[in-house]
Amino acid sequence: MQAPDKLDQIYIGKKGSAPISAPGWTAKPADGVKLVDCDVHQIFREPEDLLPYLPKFYQEHLLDQGLHLPDPGYANMPYRRYRSDLKDPELKAREFNYSLEFTQKELLDRWNIDFALLTGPPPLYACAGLPDPDWAAALCTAFNDWTIEHWLEVDPRVVNAILVAPNDPALAVKEIHRLAPRVDTVAVLMPMLTPQLYGKRIYHPIWEACAEHDLPVVSHIVGDSPGSTPTPAGFPSYYTEYRMIRPSLASAQAASLIAEGVFELYPNLKFAFIEAQQMWAAPLMWHMDADWKALGDQTPWLKRLPSEYFREHIRVGSQPMHEPPQTEQVYQMLEMLHADETLVFCTDFPHWDWNDPVTVLPKLDEYTHRRIFAENALDLLRITDDMIEAVVA
Amino acid sequence: MAQTPDKLQQIHIGKKGAAPIAAPGWTGKPADRVKLVDCDVHHNIHDPEQLLPYLPKFYQEHLLDQGLHLPGSGYANTPFRHTRPDIKDPALKERDFNFSLEFTQKELLDRWNINFALLTGPPVFLALAGLPDPDWAAALCTAFNDWTIEHWLDKDPRVVNAILVAPNDPALAVKEIHRLAHRKDTVAVMMPMQTPQLFGKRMYHPIWEACAEHDLPVVSHIGGLSPGSTPTPVGFPSYYMESRMTRPSVASAQAASLIVEGVFEKFPSFKVALIEVQQMWAVPLMWHMDTDWKAIGDQTPWLKRKPSEYFREHIRVGTQPMHEPPQTEQVYQMLEMLHADETLIFCTDFPHFDWNDPVTVLPKLDEHTHRRIFAENALDLLRITDDMIEAVVA
Amino acid sequence: MRRIVVGKVAEIPVGGRKIIVPFRGRAGIGIFNVNGSFYALRNICPHKRGPLCTGEVAGRSTTSAPPSLTDGFVDYEREGEIIRCPWHAWQFDIATGQCLVDPDVRVKTYPIIVDGDDLIVDVDVSDFIAE
Repeated sequence: MQAPDKLDQIYIGKKGSAPISAPGWTAKPADGVKLVDCDVHQIFREPEDLLPYLPKFYQEHLLDQGLHLPDPGYANMPYRRYRSDLKDPELKAREFNYSLEFTQKELLDRWNIDFALLTGPPPLYACAGLPDPDWAAALCTAFNDWTIEHWLEVDPRVVNAILVAPNDPALAVKEIHRLAPRVDTVAVLMPMLTPQLYGKRIYHPIWEACAEHDLPVVSHIVGDSPGSTPTPAGFPSYYTEYRMIRPSLASAQAASLIAEGVFELYPNLKFAFIEAQQMWAAPLMWHMDADWKALGDQTPWLKRLPSEYFREHIRVGSQPMHEPPQTEQVYQMLEMLHADETLVFCTDFPHWDWNDPVTVLPKLDEYTHRRIFAENALDLLRITDDMIEAVVA
Repeated sequence: MAQTPDKLQQIHIGKKGAAPIAAPGWTGKPADRVKLVDCDVHHNIHDPEQLLPYLPKFYQEHLLDQGLHLPGSGYANTPFRHTRPDIKDPALKERDFNFSLEFTQKELLDRWNINFALLTGPPVFLALAGLPDPDWAAALCTAFNDWTIEHWLDKDPRVVNAILVAPNDPALAVKEIHRLAHRKDTVAVMMPMQTPQLFGKRMYHPIWEACAEHDLPVVSHIGGLSPGSTPTPVGFPSYYMESRMTRPSVASAQAASLIVEGVFEKFPSFKVALIEVQQMWAVPLMWHMDTDWKAIGDQTPWLKRKPSEYFREHIRVGTQPMHEPPQTEQVYQMLEMLHADETLIFCTDFPHFDWNDPVTVLPKLDEHTHRRIFAENALDLLRITDDMIEAVVA
Repeated sequence: MRRIVVGKVAEIPVGGRKIIVPFRGRAGIGIFNVNGSFYALRNICPHKRGPLCTGEVAGRSTTSAPPSLTDGFVDYEREGEIIRCPWHAWQFDIATGQCLVDPDVRVKTYPIIVDGDDLIVDVDVSDFIAE
């Protein structure tokens, strides 16, 4: 293995990589919002960072138990999780620079990103499986307040998906009401793996609160569902297999939301499924439409084709983008997905399997490009006109 | 709404079931070779007690006390009472559906010019994968296989069999494979798709080894049971439509498990067909696995090739229920993405309500792709010998 | 082609590397010392244009068969000879530029001349600047 001081040498004169001009991408000065990144992870360094944001009762809990998160199986961390080219040689004590400034420099400035949606640390999503719903809610509140202090109100490009826990829906509703007045609250972040499926009635008050505040739900892998198995045939052995489960998870949640009539109940509510690949949505729409024609009598509260609910209410993150053997198949997939309505661009910065905005997709027609890289996200997130003016001025 | 039974019966006078209609890609010409292989034809008992003659006394007692004793496996595929109402036999007063070979010959094989029909048994039976008693699961399989031999085989050269085995005690599955592999009409091994553990786990390798030894593929049909597992990674869905949406997850997880755990490196001649789970799931699975293998292949160094190469060589996908995308063009795009000329095998799912007939299931295909999907992929998969082919096309 | 002195032999010990990026430039090249031999690679991954030469230098795992009680012991080979791109983790053979996960992919390599204490590389200037 290489010694850390040798690695450090590399970065002198070159921290990270710079965008290189590529088809479909221009570095022209923005006269409008051109690039919205719906998946930027802001991460605290150690659990004690949250202490100032916890009441004394939960400070004791954290000092005794740590984050106390259940183990959701494999984490997305081969090669130590983060892009190794981003390690900051100026920091001797740790490998990765967790600051807003570093993210501004390495992501927002370097790649000309107009809005970056903060999505927090995925390991924290495992709070969905905590038996203690108050601790889950306290962790979310503390993390949201830590984010406010360290990441918000500094840079108008940085917008937030406030984290809520599904464990006691009433507490999630309370947190949504608490933070909805902030202009930088543009979405609600919900772990994708939850104790029960999103369509179940227990969660409807959360969706109702989101709809009330015109906030979409951004659902990111992973989370925890105590008692559930990752596949219908138990537990896979290897990490590669676990990554293959993501589409099943997104697909099950989307089917549940549609079949249980959530979008009939809350006609302005939208969901985005992040980091679960993309193609799963095409056969889901086809299969549900075909079955609805046959079996729609069993769910008569659905007034339209399931794919219509999908196209209107559900969004899909672009990362990790499929890499089919033929470039033509990317275009075919985008058409099948109705990508100009459903796809939102995500980098997943700073993870090892991130996608940059230049090479993620082949050259698109201008309309589709705008929809995927900016407009679908602007339509989804609660981003106001004056927020837009502040970043493109 | 409800039509009275006697009116239904009237309808069937002169017309039992639908007749094939000339359509693009289909010809009704007499066969000069195998043109149509149906890899999913359900034969069924109409009463559990039909199995009594095929059970040892010990398990006859069990059946008389407990019935089939199958665990509930969630929603069954039974809306509209399971079978196509248009093929209810008006001659039978005491039950809805005619379970005989003769009826299937008439309604399926003769009517649709099917050269080979693979028997896949009753899907509800597949729940035996979740039986706590592995001996009862194995006894049920043996009894059902012997009932099939007596009532369905040796009578029509077009009818070939996927022998049913239970995953519960793999050693007993191996024993059943060895017992029936010598029969010519044994052309595949039927395994429930939902099993206590994933197919790639080592406990099942002896079953795959026995299949490979006899050159028998596994045909895995949707259904089965995995005690303690949930249909989704997020627990149980509420409605039947949602439960149908979980099928691609089962198929995808089993395919990923077989590939990633190196089953096809261990048994290079082994093939698996995944039936009645739709098709498109295989495309993002191949793409995603290839991408991930390039990044993290170091974690599974026993895989010597791209995962999609294992898929294309070793895994087959049934055509039923066929996707119906909004644009016909997207069917062709999907077939190309699937490498359908290698991977897709035609299935009717006769006699269920959501069956696909061979005429309308797909749009017009080029001759090569048509032949591969409707006949040759299945002939390459199943252990069908040249003299069996001669017997049906003579 | 231009002949450029990229550094001194003593600057890059075994297992070390140096990345040369022109002023205000992008990409550049990486010089590696693998077991006493010097190699130079273009600092752009052919997959997604990541900064390949900043990745981790390591080896790779290897086995002859799927693991079981009697078979498939996973070993580790070629320590120090393989670089892994920090974006998406594709592996490349430092000596040849050959991508180890896709036979059709190769990163550009440059011959290195050791002239006394100097390390000299012949580069195509457009590659070197790569803007």
